[in-house]
Amino acid sequence: MFRSLLTAKTGMDAMQFNVDVISNNLANVSTTGFKRERPVFQDLLYQNLRQPGSATSQSTQLPTGLDVGTGVSPVATARIFMQGNMQLTDGPLDMAINGAGFFQIAMPDGKTAYTRDGSFQVDNQGTVVTSNGYPLEPALQVPLGTTKVTIAKDGTVTAIINNDSAAPTQLGNIQLATFINPPGLQAVGGNLYLETAASGAPTVGTPGTNSLGALNQGYVEASNVNVTEELINMIQAQRAYEMNSRSVRTSDEMLQKLGTL
Amino acid sequence: MDRLIYVAMTGAKQTEYRQSTVANNLANANTTGFRADLAAFRAVPVLGGPGLATRAFAVEQGAGSDLSQGSFQQTGRELDAAISGDGWFAVQSASGEAYTRNGNFVVDASGMLKTYTGLIVEGDSGPLTIPENTQASIAADGTVSAIDLANPAQAVEVGRLKLVNPAAAEMEKGLDGLFRRRNGEAGQPDPNVRLSVGGIEGSNVNAVDQLVTMIATQRHYDMQIKLLQTAEQNSRSAASILSLNG
Repeated sequence: MFRSLLTAKTGMDAMQFNVDVISNNLANVSTTGFKRERPVFQDLLYQNLRQPGSATSQSTQLPTGLDVGTGVSPVATARIFMQGNMQLTDGPLDMAINGAGFFQIAMPDGKTAYTRDGSFQVDNQGTVVTSNGYPLEPALQVPLGTTKVTIAKDGTVTAIINNDSAAPTQLGNIQLATFINPPGLQAVGGNLYLETAASGAPTVGTPGTNSLGALNQGYVEASNVNVTEELINMIQAQRAYEMNSRSVRTSDEMLQKLGTL
Repeated sequence: MDRLIYVAMTGAKQTEYRQSTVANNLANANTTGFRADLAAFRAVPVLGGPGLATRAFAVEQGAGSDLSQGSFQQTGRELDAAISGDGWFAVQSASGEAYTRNGNFVVDASGMLKTYTGLIVEGDSGPLTIPENTQASIAADGTVSAIDLANPAQAVEVGRLKLVNPAAAEMEKGLDGLFRRRNGEAGQPDPNVRLSVGGIEGSNVNAVDQLVTMIATQRHYDMQIKLLQTAEQNSRSAASILSLNG
């Protein structure tokens, strides 16, 4: 059957995938700490029908051959870790990282996950947890009777307990992790990422040092999805999809003609 | 049997190749740095047999790639770069140095600069490695530098991307979609190639052009089929003259 039918199919598939990624970005336009993804496409292998450079006589050779491409395929979704906007929430345990660091989260299965979503709460034990109830690592306890928690830029957490404002109690230190290749992290949903071979090992340190970024209490980091950009990409993807479906139709009509012989 | 059907058959078959090329170009209308394939028909005279030399087969052949510039798409990433004007990025492929217009780079776990397909990006003096805890950036002349985040006044020069600019006639697209020089040699770095940083170059496929070519190709194909039908009718008429009980 026609090669062009299959080629056009790969084009339609790729554009469908493009729209899938764009939809996910748009769906997460208000997700705290969300980082947008961009699909990366690559042309597939070329079929060599005539080899360029083959001899056409003793002294001459073909200047160009005939290599027919076989379409396109998505190769990666590149996650873009650009800083999102800081939104003021005034939540005492809301933190936004102004830099490349990640909060470390202890997962129920013993693994450590990483997140940019700094909207933390306290559970019934007084432990600082994410909105899904996973504790922050290193663990942080807010004791009973705490009236005010202060988180410094370098992650030092102090609390005023029982209105004793003369003697603040230090509760602990928040540590952040960075990776040499953040786009290599694996997203597992719930605003969480896991370490992979591509991301490299985490480097843990005090917020504000190296590239970790300082903590800002009372803010959360908004999603870095740019709606205008996504909508324009969607228009492009949709039109490219239509053109590829036109390729399919043309090939189909050619085959139809062939059938009339 | 008249040779007409073979001429028409060749026409139909080669038109189908043309349709494949157009379909591939359209499929890659959104592929970063893609260069559209050009194609042309070539006449091959029909040899042998009696009669006048009035017939020629048409054979499809590649005519290289359209090397015109694609549109610049801003992404805001530090490690995205597009070449403005002529020039190529050099990458290490399985079969030696190859060239691409796709300036969408990533850093792997060891800090090495690579393409999304995992090919190592060439610098003027070997691969480029970004040190840890630094913010890498690419300058307009291809210089890659990294700023130490603990000490922003400290910029580390990592190297310069290998940017080459061989003559367009020397470049040909390989079967993996990367370009290479026809003579197989590695190009010399060209200091005059300029980059636009913070974005990538889109595909240079012209949709109007491809769709019009597709329509023309389709009609061309229809004509070949029509010729085949005509040849069949001619043979049928000739055969009916020969029939005894006509």
